[in-house]
Amino acid sequence: MVEDVRIYGGWKDELGLKVVPSKKIGKDLYEVFIGPQHPGSGHMRITVRLDGDIIVEADPDIGYVHRTMEKLGEIRGWIKPIPLFERMAIHDACNITMPYVLAVEKLMGVEPPLRAKYLRSLLCEINRIGAHLYGFAIFGVFLGHSTMYMWAMGDREVFIELAEALTGARLTHSYPLPGGARRDIPADFPDMARRAVNYMRKRLKEYEKIFLNNPVIRSRLEGVGVISKGLAAELGIVGPNARASGIGYDVRIVEPYDAYPELDFEVPVFREGDALARTMVRVEEIKQSLRIIEQAVEWLEKNPREPIVDKYLYGKYPPLHKKIMESEGRAKLLPISAAMKVPKGRAIGRAETGRGETIYYVESDGGVNPYRVRIVTASARNAIAFKYVLPGHKIMDLPAIYGSLDYFPPESDR
Amino acid sequence: MSVLDTVASLIFYPPIWQLLILGFGGALVVAMVAVWFERKAAARVQRRIGPYWASPRLGGLMHLMADMLRYAFQQVVIPRTVDFWPFIAAPIFGMALSILPFAVTPLTSNPNFWPLPPALMEYSLLVALAITTLPPIFIIVSGWAANNPFTIIGGVREAFIILSYELIAILSLFAPAVAVGSLNIVDIVQAQGLVKWFIVLNPLAFLAAILAVAMSTSAFPFEIPESEPEVVAGPFTEYSGILYALNMGGAYMRRFVFGLLISLMFLGGWYPIVPGEGFILGYALPSLVVVVKAVVVVLAISFLRAIYGRYRLDQALDMAWRLVLPLTLAGILLALVEAYLGIF
Repeated sequence: MVEDVRIYGGWKDELGLKVVPSKKIGKDLYEVFIGPQHPGSGHMRITVRLDGDIIVEADPDIGYVHRTMEKLGEIRGWIKPIPLFERMAIHDACNITMPYVLAVEKLMGVEPPLRAKYLRSLLCEINRIGAHLYGFAIFGVFLGHSTMYMWAMGDREVFIELAEALTGARLTHSYPLPGGARRDIPADFPDMARRAVNYMRKRLKEYEKIFLNNPVIRSRLEGVGVISKGLAAELGIVGPNARASGIGYDVRIVEPYDAYPELDFEVPVFREGDALARTMVRVEEIKQSLRIIEQAVEWLEKNPREPIVDKYLYGKYPPLHKKIMESEGRAKLLPISAAMKVPKGRAIGRAETGRGETIYYVESDGGVNPYRVRIVTASARNAIAFKYVLPGHKIMDLPAIYGSLDYFPPESDR
Repeated sequence: MSVLDTVASLIFYPPIWQLLILGFGGALVVAMVAVWFERKAAARVQRRIGPYWASPRLGGLMHLMADMLRYAFQQVVIPRTVDFWPFIAAPIFGMALSILPFAVTPLTSNPNFWPLPPALMEYSLLVALAITTLPPIFIIVSGWAANNPFTIIGGVREAFIILSYELIAILSLFAPAVAVGSLNIVDIVQAQGLVKWFIVLNPLAFLAAILAVAMSTSAFPFEIPESEPEVVAGPFTEYSGILYALNMGGAYMRRFVFGLLISLMFLGGWYPIVPGEGFILGYALPSLVVVVKAVVVVLAISFLRAIYGRYRLDQALDMAWRLVLPLTLAGILLALVEAYLGIF
């Protein structure tokens, strides 16, 4: 007997059994699929259910740019995953590969010299600024503020060029190596870096005028998308988003790596937890990164050049490689690194990327490939916030919240 | 000779001249220049070059021509799910109604060149404003006919914005009429004369008019119904090719119409030129002055895009009812006081 009666959350089939679709849609709710083919969604889909203009339910649907990073990391030796993992967040390339390098260093038992550590931290901070400026640019265009988009993208170019001068590549630098770094600074780099720092400080003041203190932007951000301290801790949100909610957690402080123990910087923490606080945290972080760049460049200038790879590895270098290292400050990869074997063991590497804490778990069975590489990126941990922060807001708040979370799907999907 | 005369009289027959040649053609050129200026000025603020390569000597002005040609020859994709006739008809009617106010807007005080008979000119402001309220209906229709969540949300947003800001635009444009005591645009302009422009005498209504025009024609930073990050292109999401161009062009036409009305109501119309006899003195020069003033208004609105972001829908409505409507009413009160004092 066919019962043609709809019942809440489903209907009865021919046998009178209740059929419930995989998602219940409440009465009078309007379901809108924002993404993946949508100018404001990025490579993800947010299923939004609306009651009038209010978001009742939001479902982040990730995975549209999944590239099997973890599996690919198991088949291409120990060095080649570095350029692979950069593809998760190419504008944050040094930061995102740093934890892998740290973990492999732990397994190999090598320790980069201090100069290499400074170089790596220098590039990490350049990348951090670049990542934040990229976030600002997207945020600006989400809020209909095209000037912020152009300014941030244009000023990011300064730091991309700085990274290019240091590493030779604009985005995918492949700079850190287990036990060292690839290149020493060129002779004119300190001046270039100082000019970039001064320029960015000046520009940040102009950003404040046109964007951060713009009444329209303020009214869009203040009190929007509030994540309380408790909720942030419960959801496991990391990075600037957690620090905007009053959680002063930063891997650079909690578990210092590379040159960070030697550097003087602060971790900005805000209490409000709204979109504005998340934006301001990033602004303050840019200021701190500029301080770090200044200090690192000063240290690198003051201290004499030395081989920028681990002593043990340097001992293995053939004379030609040593000559290049001494004359150009460039660490050529050893031929042996293509089939390098890493001692058996397991290690965890953590680093603070532009968007938060990224963790790599690396396991070796003593072979030429990693046995397992588990990657947990910051965006992957922040994705859950959409589900809990969006409900209760208006649909027009979605871009403001999305942009303020600085969610980056390729990083999240791995 | 007589054929030429016939053709000339046909072309210069005021309704045709004003509606099709000056109205549509002129407004197309104005829209082109406005978009070009908007992009160029925004590029200057944003430290870019903006449109350039299509015609380097003209600063990329031809880029917009290329855009228009592209729209004209692009394939029009009509999805199977849309409501066909409303989907097709809405942009066409919207565009037609957007340029219709040109047919009733006088650009000179010389009666030979009025688009309407002198008896009808008494109500020209009323008719022009009445027609400007019609095109948004077709935007909502196109949103509804396209049958897509984004278009429907966009259409509803358009309805919200129009309900609040169209009223303000009309009320604030009525303020000079209240002060002068006439609905005849020519009378209002003549009353303003060389110095007594309403931008000085009634800045409140002028400010409200500019704001309301920017909002109700969804000028760029306030394009809430079409805001890209949430609703793709709002009511125009499913449109492509020439239909999309008509939809987007309609908004620019409406902005230009409002610009004309503002330049007549607040900026002294054809003054400082006093229209005389003959085509040049009686029509060409005065109308050029009016159009230049209107273009300045349109460009000023366009320039806002470089500075401001987009308001949220509820904030925009809140601003309309709490801030701009009282401003408009204060403007009308001011106009009443001026009328009482007998400034005109």
